[in-house]
Amino acid sequence: MSLLDFARGPALQWAAVIFVIGMLWRTVGLLLMLRSRPLSKDRKSGLAGAGVKTMFSRFLLPKVFAKRVGFQFLLGWVWHVGFVLTLFFFQVHVLFFKGVFGFSWPALPNAVVLPVAAVTLGILLILLVRRMTNPMLRYISNFNDYSSVIVTLLPFVTGFATFTHIPALAYETLLALHFLSVALLLVWFPFSKLFHVITVLPSRYILGVKFWRRGVEA
Amino acid sequence: MTEVITKQEREEAFAMFYGMAASIGELAEPAPEMTDEERVERAKEVFLKGIDNNVAVQLDACVHCGACAQACQFFLGTEDPKYTPIHKLDLLKKVYKRELSPMSWLNKFLTPDITADDLRDQVELVYDSCTMCGRCNMVCPSAINIGDMVALNRSAMAAAGLAPAELRYMRDGQEADGTIFGADEDLFNFRIQDIEQKLGFEIPIDKKGADVLLMTSGLDIHLFADATGGAIETLHHMGVDFTLASKTPGYEGANFGSLSGYDATKKKLTKDSTAAIEELGVKTVIVPECGHSYPALRFGAAEAVGRDVKFEVMTVSEYFGRAVMDGRLKLEKKDHPTPIALHDPCKVGRWGGVFDEPRAILKACGYDLHETESNKQYNFCCGGGAGNFLLPSADKLKRVGYRIKMGEIEATGAEELVVSCGSCRMNFEVGKVKAGDSMPVESLAAIIAAHLPQKDKAEGDRA
Repeated sequence: MSLLDFARGPALQWAAVIFVIGMLWRTVGLLLMLRSRPLSKDRKSGLAGAGVKTMFSRFLLPKVFAKRVGFQFLLGWVWHVGFVLTLFFFQVHVLFFKGVFGFSWPALPNAVVLPVAAVTLGILLILLVRRMTNPMLRYISNFNDYSSVIVTLLPFVTGFATFTHIPALAYETLLALHFLSVALLLVWFPFSKLFHVITVLPSRYILGVKFWRRGVEA
Repeated sequence: MTEVITKQEREEAFAMFYGMAASIGELAEPAPEMTDEERVERAKEVFLKGIDNNVAVQLDACVHCGACAQACQFFLGTEDPKYTPIHKLDLLKKVYKRELSPMSWLNKFLTPDITADDLRDQVELVYDSCTMCGRCNMVCPSAINIGDMVALNRSAMAAAGLAPAELRYMRDGQEADGTIFGADEDLFNFRIQDIEQKLGFEIPIDKKGADVLLMTSGLDIHLFADATGGAIETLHHMGVDFTLASKTPGYEGANFGSLSGYDATKKKLTKDSTAAIEELGVKTVIVPECGHSYPALRFGAAEAVGRDVKFEVMTVSEYFGRAVMDGRLKLEKKDHPTPIALHDPCKVGRWGGVFDEPRAILKACGYDLHETESNKQYNFCCGGGAGNFLLPSADKLKRVGYRIKMGEIEATGAEELVVSCGSCRMNFEVGKVKAGDSMPVESLAAIIAAHLPQKDKAEGDRA
């Protein structure tokens, strides 16, 4: 079995299995935890609606924080959108997903996706350097923070290397490395802070409800 | 408004009170002795009891983006990374990851357990450098409730015998007889009689079945009689059937169990107050101008007694603000040539939702309100909330917090500040002295009383 066969065969398959089981395990584990129910009267009605509102309003930054948090907020936005566009709308990826799921969706032209992927990669690098050089971020960062950025970076780096056929390695080797980096990302996902993909919206909902009970829009 | 305390009397009382408050740490009983193992065990017990699904989901939503630091006045004022709000939850996170997380089977091997030294280091982070103001909650992209989780940390520190001496002293005193700062029933009665004499009418005490119970606090009894007097005068003016209570659970609104992290004391005090209130049979309770007393009773009473309670809880600004908004209280619009700024106390505003009411009052009084850049739910803390105004160890941080807050107030061009919280007011007064500032800081209740229409005219209106 060649490295490429291993990477797109067993490596990717086992990584996907670990990803699915890990995500389900952690999600169901959280769902099974007990919840406290407040007994005092709410100051406002429509708690669920307020929770949902906060789920979406936190996609925007309140004006009062714009000066201090605006730059990192913008970087966060662009990087997440860029990641989704690159993963799901790059032509080669769409073909890959068709092979896996049996159906596909329209892809974006390479002329759009490639610059988006380049910007996304650039932002990830900026965020990594910022985490290493900003004293506050460096202080609060742990292994999970650095490794999660690096593990997310790798598929972009190997993807660009593969697409541009860098001469240092054979194309098959580059492609195998790309698959392996994706496998690593899948395995790392449920065990790391990348799991916030599942918790971020419920977390916002929780605060939205908690504060609206008290009459405050969060 | 009838002057219930002169400026000079207040300044003298303030100097005496400040001297007393500065020495309470020395009066505290020695901290409970326990081994390091016991400290860790007790702290972990509190953490584990406090982590439910909501806390777990929020802890798992943190990506360490550090945005919370940019909302915290203690980080902004010092740029010390250890004051980053989310860092204050590291111990809680460790316990969660090792003991309760769905991934604990793996995390146990990767995450070191907490130690007694960790707990000792944590004391400064969750007391001195955090007033649980919750401003960080408002910037977090994951909307993590850091403020409440710091409160859980305070409970863990208290259980581990590590609460600051000043807060232990306050808690011990209130646990023993319900009073704070020695404001016992004799002193309360003296103060009420004094106010009664100055206002010129009888103040109802322990009147069963009255519509409204007005509570006060040790701080108001000692220092801010204008706040209590203003509320009494306004209730009398409105013709409300109100009463005050002569026993501590019925008049003391402060709850140092809540501020110090002693949950059992917090619950006991709230239960005692609830029993006293229900025995009086009032429909509405007005808690004093004391920020934390509002959430402690409004949201804590039902939790303390394990059932719904038979009364409604409002804070001073909320009660009178609503009366202004629905026309039950008419205030005299006066000419105020200089603008005024309003401080939204965190526990009443961001944690209580009372924003429109004080603004309606100021508008009715004819003030030109200049809002600070950060206002309502984004308001900066005064710098000394959550009992921190009593901690000498937090002096430098309090001044840093005060500077940021006062900077925003000064930027509005206001020449006067109004606040509806005694401890905020205390912190502003001390901050002013230390910084050499001179902006007058007024009680909202006193301002309301100062804008009551002339009695003859008001009686004419009612007729």
